[in-house]
Amino acid sequence: MTRSLRSRFLTGTIVGMILLLTVFSLIIYIVIRSTLIKQFDRSLASITQVLAASIEHDLDDNKIELEFEVQQMPEFHNVEHPTYYQLWTDDSDVLARSPLLGTNDLVRPEGSPNKLVFMQPFEKNGIPLRAVGLTFVPRNADNEEADAPLPTSEQFLTLMVARDASDLLGQFTFLRWLLLIASAAVIILSLLIAAIIVRKGLNPLNAIATEIATITEDNLTMRITAEHVPEEIIPIKNRLNELMSRLEASFNRERQFNADVAHELRTPLAGIRSTIEVALTRTRESAEYQQAMSECLEITKTMQSMVSNLLILAGLDAQQTSFDTEPVKIVEVIDSCWNSFSEKARKRDVTFDNRLDPDTTCETDRQNLSIILSNILENAVVYTDKGGNIWATASRKDDAVEISISNTGCQLTTDQVAHVFDCFWQADSARSSAGIHSGLGLALVRKLTVALGGHVAAELQSEGIFTIRLNLPIKS
Amino acid sequence: MRLLVIEDYPPLQQSLTKGLREADFAVDSTRDGKEGLWYATSNEYDVIILDLMLPGMNGLDILKKIRAKGLKTHVLILTAKDTVEDRVAGLNFGADDYLIKPFAFEELLARVRALLRRKYREKNPSIRIKDLRIDFAAQRLWRGGEEIQLTAREYALLEYLAMRAGETISRADIWEHVYDFNSSASSNVVDVYIGYLRKKIERPNKPALIHTVRGRGYRLGAQP
Repeated sequence: MTRSLRSRFLTGTIVGMILLLTVFSLIIYIVIRSTLIKQFDRSLASITQVLAASIEHDLDDNKIELEFEVQQMPEFHNVEHPTYYQLWTDDSDVLARSPLLGTNDLVRPEGSPNKLVFMQPFEKNGIPLRAVGLTFVPRNADNEEADAPLPTSEQFLTLMVARDASDLLGQFTFLRWLLLIASAAVIILSLLIAAIIVRKGLNPLNAIATEIATITEDNLTMRITAEHVPEEIIPIKNRLNELMSRLEASFNRERQFNADVAHELRTPLAGIRSTIEVALTRTRESAEYQQAMSECLEITKTMQSMVSNLLILAGLDAQQTSFDTEPVKIVEVIDSCWNSFSEKARKRDVTFDNRLDPDTTCETDRQNLSIILSNILENAVVYTDKGGNIWATASRKDDAVEISISNTGCQLTTDQVAHVFDCFWQADSARSSAGIHSGLGLALVRKLTVALGGHVAAELQSEGIFTIRLNLPIKS
Repeated sequence: MRLLVIEDYPPLQQSLTKGLREADFAVDSTRDGKEGLWYATSNEYDVIILDLMLPGMNGLDILKKIRAKGLKTHVLILTAKDTVEDRVAGLNFGADDYLIKPFAFEELLARVRALLRRKYREKNPSIRIKDLRIDFAAQRLWRGGEEIQLTAREYALLEYLAMRAGETISRADIWEHVYDFNSSASSNVVDVYIGYLRKKIERPNKPALIHTVRGRGYRLGAQP
């Protein structure tokens, strides 16, 4: 999902706020509503009890009377918010009803004696009402102040008091609107605040983005400096800067490599051009021309081998090199590689001893193995002292075969040996006086060996003996 | 004019030495940096042609050491390094010119000659002394409209005298600047060649141009 961080955060805030506010509003509404209803009903109940207490049963006349003062209570005469009462005998005969009721009847409640019955809300004349019913025995009218126990009335009466609840309902409506508007306001306000916080919070990201936008391959030394970055973004900034360092290093390597290639091609080109131009400055004997041409031919051969090494390296880097593996007798490959250098070695009085077991085989790419071994042998021929020796051995190591090629007369120090596989590295930072040597050979050896699934190491042994150990898997 | 070539790539070193000798320069050459420094400091060369990447000692270090010793020898850097930084570094260390490989041999010759003219404060590629005219670029000379043919050695000697026309030059100086280590050493070789040169240049009915300054050397010029 490619939604922005901002919209994700804001949507989350809205949904969360709506859920929370709905739950809280509902709880508040229910609590307040039930409290208001309880208060309403309690006052209704107390009116009912006052009213019930004011009813007297005159046992002598067997007459039931309501005190006049009670009948004149203002509630019972308020037309706008009326309170009604109605009194029934045990036999459901209506004994009395509030004047506001007119000829209308309330519904007589059923209930056990002396217990308040809260009725379901109902409507009368379009007015919402809440009502309480009470079945009771009225007190005796005559012997109010007598000490002796009184005869009790046998007459059960039922009283019901109903009151207009429209104010209560109005309060409920008001409460609902209040909660709704308050919630909406809270949501809108928190959205605004959240939007501002998000924008401020994302500012460092924008600052970093602006800085990154200015990075090109020409200013890779640049680092993201964005100050006052929140700590969550510091790791990103640091990782980006580390990435920049790696990119810079790799670009620098590439640049150095290109400069080295240019340098290594320019020098032999200058040799060819200068040799030809000098030869052409005047008319010469044919022997002199021949010498110039054979010198140029030698330089051309060196350049050709360097260019083909470069192409192999480029192919390996682009992973375009294919490998055809087959069982290869290593001793044969070494012998055929040595053929190319035997003449050169003979001139320098260098001897070569191939000490490999003729049966040493491994499953690998014959052509690439011979490029590897040729480069190692060429290097050995160039750097072995005059009259020195080169020898090759092999041994089996687990699932690999280790081919070692050693030569005498090594002038390198241990520190220098660590660099022999670097591109264009040469011990003297200039060509060996033995002839042009591009410094690509051993770099190619390492890359090709790794591509064949093996590894290679160089090591300096005592008495100037330099050894390259080539470790190749027996099965590809 | 005596040159030193410090270049480690054998084909280039050989062809440069050969080409410059054929252009009548006295040339010493080496492939090793340390040896190059020794050559440069123990002889008085007119121009040193210096490669930068050398075994033994880096070209820029050689240049620094030469300048630190107060030698004013003109140095032409010859290198495959072509970045602006490399050129600026070379020139800042006191090189007089910079040529990037590969180069045209003709251009190298022209630049070496330009440095020589600078050294001897001679801006014009040709010089006239009375009715003797020398064209340094074409390496030809005329006296009174008549062209004179010289051998390479004779020309090299005349060129050196002409570059310092009017000055008295010692035999040792002439030896240093006209002959390289390959020349067969002979104490009177300078006198012998001055004799050859006089035979070809001087005219019986005209004023002498090459004068012997007793006990000090020779001088090329109109006045005795």
